[in-house]
Amino acid sequence: MPNIVEIAVNTEGFSTLVAAVQAAGLVEALASPGPFTVFAPNDAAFAKLPPGTVQTLVDNPPQLARILKFHVVAGAYRQADLASMDNLISLESSPIPIRVHPVFEVKNSTVLAADIEASNGILHVIDTVILMG
Amino acid sequence: MSTTTLTPTALPPSSHEFSEVIHRLEAGGSMLPDTPDNLKQIIGIYKAYAVPMDFYWRDLLYIAERVFLNPFPAFKYFISKDYLDRPNVYAGDTAELRIWRGQADAHPELRAFMEKGESNRKIPRLLHHLWHDRINMEFAEACMDAMLWHEDINPKFNAYLDSEEYRESSDRAIQAYFQGNPVMLGLYKLFPEMFREQVKKLSYYANLGLFWEVMAPVFFEMSDLYDEGKLTTVPEAMKFLVNGIFAVAGRPIYHHVDIRGECYEIIPKSQGFTWLYEAALPYVEAVFYRTAPFRGTKSYNAQAGQIPSRQQDFHYGILYADVFPVGSAGIPPTLLMQDMLHFLPDYLVEEYRQHGRGEDDILIQLGITFQRSMYNVTSAVIQALRAALLYPLDDPNPEHLKANRQFFEQQIDRFKRPEERLRDVQNQDYR
Repeated sequence: MPNIVEIAVNTEGFSTLVAAVQAAGLVEALASPGPFTVFAPNDAAFAKLPPGTVQTLVDNPPQLARILKFHVVAGAYRQADLASMDNLISLESSPIPIRVHPVFEVKNSTVLAADIEASNGILHVIDTVILMG
Repeated sequence: MSTTTLTPTALPPSSHEFSEVIHRLEAGGSMLPDTPDNLKQIIGIYKAYAVPMDFYWRDLLYIAERVFLNPFPAFKYFISKDYLDRPNVYAGDTAELRIWRGQADAHPELRAFMEKGESNRKIPRLLHHLWHDRINMEFAEACMDAMLWHEDINPKFNAYLDSEEYRESSDRAIQAYFQGNPVMLGLYKLFPEMFREQVKKLSYYANLGLFWEVMAPVFFEMSDLYDEGKLTTVPEAMKFLVNGIFAVAGRPIYHHVDIRGECYEIIPKSQGFTWLYEAALPYVEAVFYRTAPFRGTKSYNAQAGQIPSRQQDFHYGILYADVFPVGSAGIPPTLLMQDMLHFLPDYLVEEYRQHGRGEDDILIQLGITFQRSMYNVTSAVIQALRAALLYPLDDPNPEHLKANRQFFEQQIDRFKRPEERLRDVQNQDYR
């Protein structure tokens, strides 16, 4: 079974995320055994950010890594596991609010595709880049 | 993350006491009404603010990086030539992300003022300083102090200032700075915490300097766009700020010290501190909302109980300030008002001549203009937070719109106190 990074690389629509993970130097971490739960924003999610935002982050890998780590949680959580939880603590250390009913929503994003299995965790595709605060 | 969509809201009208403002925010507007006069006032004052700010950020970084722990920093406001020439990261040809199309080194009006001052005489800088013909750098330091003292608003940054790693890197810098100075090294041995606290304070100088390095070119560019006729409404001016906030949100906040040509990274960029989270949001909370009670308006007498005991309840920032006593004793913003006075665009001076007591009360008039403009900046921050943490204004999902409204109402709740000026700035006669 492919790991989280391989899934993102081989699936269409995640080129910005893959480029960001590479720029931030997180490839190795996300390919490690984990397990992790990753809320993966697709290209359209990154495109919603105003001009300059992504550029400034790509120019500053530690700051980019911090935003990306907010999308990652230690442990494998499927949608069903999250039904009874209000929030998860991200690797960035801030909480991510979760709602499963009536729609599966992560903070202010909506999950477009849930429970994608990887060898080292679970991916949920989201439609908005989520931010701490 | 558009902020100008004007779809009629799908929700029933808000019952908030400031429902008019809430509805305007929901329609992509500002807390400040969209009138040509408001636009003229806020843009003019952004320009007048940006010039001293161009000095503030340069000098804050000069103090954080060069003056450092000098025990007698008598010349900390006499910044070196390389800090005046230091290219602003967001202006000029060298900028990777160019916000202002103008030059990257110090603004020409600032240079002219530093050379000749109000007295318009080319005399040595020291004499300008002693004659108090200068930029009031104490105002910038007061803002820094507010950020340092309101500890709860910057938790990650402050946790790092208390970390073992920070202690070690500041220890290295302290030892290097006082190398060959047995008196200071001896004092450091006796009272290490006193020195560490100073280094923390200097890290806040760097923090605020890096924050304002962004705001100065943003304000210069807005002024240029207005002059070119490209900024025509208050919501457009707010949107420019929102986009600026997002564009540089990920800028690193760091503290590097230059000791005898060697760079000591007291807070390295690799810590991941960002402009938005560790500088901009704490700044807005510390300076726009909280700061400290003016010595001239409140009694610090503990029995009188005029001043709240909890820092969260402080409400002495520019959004609450009574501007009418500007120019009298015990009113700190006077320092800033007097700084801006030197750089007002002609159209604002013309405006002030026609109101109030003309040029006689110009400090108060421009102070109120400044308050208006900061309501617009705060609106931009509220809209940026809404865009980052909540939903687009034209979101079709009514639950999402409800969440947006709740957020706006919570933010505006902060103006439900008798000192608020939100009601005043709705009125064009408040001058």
